[in-house]
Amino acid sequence: MRIGLIFLLIINIFASDLTLEIVKEVGNEPKVAVENSSSQVDPKIDRKFFKLLLGDLKVTSHFNVEENMNLANYDDPVNSAKYKNVAYLLRYELFYDDLGDLNAKAFLYDLKTGKKVIEKIYKISDRARYPFLAHKIVYDLSRALGFDDVEFLKSFVVFAKYISPKKSNIVVSDYTLTYQKSVVSGGLNIFPKWADREQRSFYYTDMNGIKPTLYKVDIYKGTKSKVLSSEGMLVCSDVSEDGEKLLLTMAPDFQPDIYLYNLKNGTLKRLTTYKGIDVNGNFTQNDTKLVFVSDRLGYPNIFMKKIDGYGVQRLIYHGRNNSSCTTYKDYVAYSSRETNNAFGKNTFNIYLASTKSDFIRRLTANGVNIFPRFSNDGETLLYIKEFKNQSGLGVIRLKYNKSYIYPLYVGKIQSIDW
Amino acid sequence: MNIKVIAISFFAATLFFSGCAKKSIEIETPQQTTQQEGASEVEEGSGIKSINEMAEGELSEEQKLELAKKIEAKQKKIYFDFDKYNIRPDQEPRVDYDAKLFNSEEAREFKIKVEGNCDEWGSDEYNYALGLKRAKTVRDALAARGVEPSRMTIISYGESNPVCTEHTRECWAKNRRVEFELIP
Repeated sequence: MRIGLIFLLIINIFASDLTLEIVKEVGNEPKVAVENSSSQVDPKIDRKFFKLLLGDLKVTSHFNVEENMNLANYDDPVNSAKYKNVAYLLRYELFYDDLGDLNAKAFLYDLKTGKKVIEKIYKISDRARYPFLAHKIVYDLSRALGFDDVEFLKSFVVFAKYISPKKSNIVVSDYTLTYQKSVVSGGLNIFPKWADREQRSFYYTDMNGIKPTLYKVDIYKGTKSKVLSSEGMLVCSDVSEDGEKLLLTMAPDFQPDIYLYNLKNGTLKRLTTYKGIDVNGNFTQNDTKLVFVSDRLGYPNIFMKKIDGYGVQRLIYHGRNNSSCTTYKDYVAYSSRETNNAFGKNTFNIYLASTKSDFIRRLTANGVNIFPRFSNDGETLLYIKEFKNQSGLGVIRLKYNKSYIYPLYVGKIQSIDW
Repeated sequence: MNIKVIAISFFAATLFFSGCAKKSIEIETPQQTTQQEGASEVEEGSGIKSINEMAEGELSEEQKLELAKKIEAKQKKIYFDFDKYNIRPDQEPRVDYDAKLFNSEEAREFKIKVEGNCDEWGSDEYNYALGLKRAKTVRDALAARGVEPSRMTIISYGESNPVCTEHTRECWAKNRRVEFELIP
């Protein structure tokens, strides 16, 4: 009995550690089918919307999704006989109201009980934002069923994409990068980073003057304000939990180092002093430490130090080139170049590690996998995958050990934040 | 046609010289009289100067920019190894050349923007830092060769400014470079 208890306890401790592989039985999730009742909308939007809904349902990891597009009139009774072994039916209709706004009405039907779980009407005035209609529907039905939160479906992504040499725009999009709105354009604008959890504003670096300058943009007011500028390079790498402190990579003496900038009192503190490269600082362990990338061993690798201390600790002991990292609480996700090849294609994989244990989990297997970023709740990881001549958006549901790839048609991404 | 021109010239010259020989004094006298009588210098409008009028020999903004571009075109770009920011031995003569170029009489008045660039094989921040370190190494090397450090500013463009966009090793090698922009 005692041994059994200890065993259970170990399982529980490990189960909460996302760096461990969690092997779940495949096919355990309830099956869901989708019925489309739309007849008024543009066939292109109709098709895309259906694909978005399927993608959203899959990426929650809560459902086993049936891929067929079934057709039915919205108000007709559900034909339960058609859906054997299916637990839920999602029926929806896209239509335009009298004002020309795009509407969607949808219900989720429990085929076992024969009852509607949730039914709602949604509306969006700007038709270009239709992907958010799909995301909201799936968010709401997942919530109504009492599943784990999937707020990442509704969140924004901000990224910089190259247009031509020395030119890049900053774009705000939905998590699938289907809806895209260019917010900053003209010249070279790079390294966007959300300034707050509510995603109302972001920081970015303007490279168009003599010195790189950091600006803060309010996306709802359409305004920007200057934060500071530095010689050589300037990047906002991370924002503290309370939004009041920034970890910056700056080079006031032409030397890339990490600085802590306090927005409240405007003080700037240099945190690293190594004469090589120290970049990409990320807060960890309740903002008391930072994880960063340094070439102090002759190649880029991940290190950790206290914000108010001097000692530097090596965090990762594998890989030849671990040149970028991101954190969520005590977790670190990093991209590691597996090959050191100046003459051909390189492989980059994404790993997940913990600052409090030695466990490491490899999350990708082939191709070039870069820009790992955690969702707000840390349960989902977004990254960009380049494989052969295609690029894709990767979504890894850490807790469920599942990953999804969407084809991406955006051009070359400079930097991305979720 | 040519024969016609030569013939007319000859005729005119003959008339002129024969005329001069006989009436040179008579011709000069009425000319002097005319000047003294009527022709007066029109002063109005002379001496008006525009703002920023240049001293003799000074170049206009456009001329300076043109000169800067002309010198820039003579620069030798400094190339780097994959993932490295030290200057390769084979690149040293190129740095020597650039130092001489920037210290030459015509280039001395310009500031120098030392720009570090990388290939596409890097991930975001580290790649920009790599570009910066490349720029700094070249700046220090130029300073050691007598280029005034206060004339130089450095910037990294990471992978954002490729000169070659094909996915080949030759192309990547061309992109791992430091180049210069002269600023009037």
